[in-house]
Amino acid sequence: MKKGNFRFLTYPLAVLFTGLLLVAFVAPQDKKFGGPWEIPANYKTMKNPNAGDADLVKVGKMLYTKHCKSCHGNVAGDGPKAASMKVAIRSFADAEFQKQSDGVIYYQSFIGRDEMPNFEKKIIEEEDRWAIVNYLRTLK
Amino acid sequence: MKKYIWFLIILWVAFNGVSAQEAEVKEKDKPVRTPFESGYLIDNQTTLIPIKGTLEYVIQHKFGKMDKGISDFYGIYSPGANVRLGINYVPVKNFQIGIGQTKKNMYTDLNAKWTIFEQTRENTIPVAVALYGMVAVDGRNVSAFETGKVVNTKGPTLPKSVKFDDRLSYFSQLIVGRKFTEWLSLQAGASFTHYNMVGWDYDHDKIGAHFNGRIKFSPQSSFIFNYDVPLKIKKISEQWEWTDHPKPNLAFGVEISTSTHAFQIYMGTAEGIIPQDMVMWNQNDWKNKGLAIGFTITRLWNF
Repeated sequence: MKKGNFRFLTYPLAVLFTGLLLVAFVAPQDKKFGGPWEIPANYKTMKNPNAGDADLVKVGKMLYTKHCKSCHGNVAGDGPKAASMKVAIRSFADAEFQKQSDGVIYYQSFIGRDEMPNFEKKIIEEEDRWAIVNYLRTLK
Repeated sequence: MKKYIWFLIILWVAFNGVSAQEAEVKEKDKPVRTPFESGYLIDNQTTLIPIKGTLEYVIQHKFGKMDKGISDFYGIYSPGANVRLGINYVPVKNFQIGIGQTKKNMYTDLNAKWTIFEQTRENTIPVAVALYGMVAVDGRNVSAFETGKVVNTKGPTLPKSVKFDDRLSYFSQLIVGRKFTEWLSLQAGASFTHYNMVGWDYDHDKIGAHFNGRIKFSPQSSFIFNYDVPLKIKKISEQWEWTDHPKPNLAFGVEISTSTHAFQIYMGTAEGIIPQDMVMWNQNDWKNKGLAIGFTITRLWNF
């Protein structure tokens, strides 16, 4: 096959490629946050048995770095994997997030839904889970 | 062999007795958090076993030696690479079984690891103790065995003389580990390696000493190392002199771990990947341009 046969494709391909490149920058901004969470009643009233345990914050930070950071970033929901998600990730510093009860955050973090995976088999101990909740509280 | 099996059974029973007592203490004193990030440490095992129901996929790769420098890009383009693909599963708490295939010697291996004790936070149990065992089949064509099986002469191996048993090799190891601080975990181990068939000037048995650990320098990253020494023990040697006594395996590198992966990239001496091969056959010397680049990647799934 002669090289020249496909020359006519050069311009359309260049336009397409440039277009895709631009879309790549634009698309993430169009993402929306996921809708309101349906939290079971027992989680809404769930008490944090380790509330205010400052020693656990360090443990929470370690676990956060290992399990959460790749999507959630340091705080703002801008980790390396965030771009490939369908929904936008809310910042932990956001008042919307922080006004929720510990139990609700527990449900969101470890039971999850859709793109937020379940972590019950990755973070097994209750104390470790609450350590993460306590750490998230420091990100105000 | 029979004696050996009896020994393992007795060990199992003895430790089970202790485990029962351990269960009572556990209520108060929990195991330490993540003494290691993965069950693998370069090409050694750690006392860590993921939670029950975990499936682990592992890719272990070693490039050729770096001795030719830039001409083969420090071994990356070298033909002497070795690779192992493995799958491990945790059917019951602290007990793992696995299967793997290695390029070198066309090994197919079955392995099992049992963490008898986990170190606890309040030091009720100050160390973690694990047993690891592997049996591997050398799957090569008989012509590849050269002088592997000869009775009286030093001639080549006769095709019909190699039976299935001859292809088997065994490795068993006792590992003791301790997480000293948040950033330092160390392990020491002793192992016994047996090959059913070796060349006329080699030993069938080797006892190895192992030392390895990790130094964590950020929440996700650690410096890791291991040093495996095949011991010169005259009593179990079949040879008069130490010709071709295997060289120690030294490796050091960096580990980065995430929720489901561990990435370990390192420089090490042994070209073998399965432990009995490293203890029995490593002739690369780190003091004499024997290092090669390698990596280990693990992926976990929970069911």
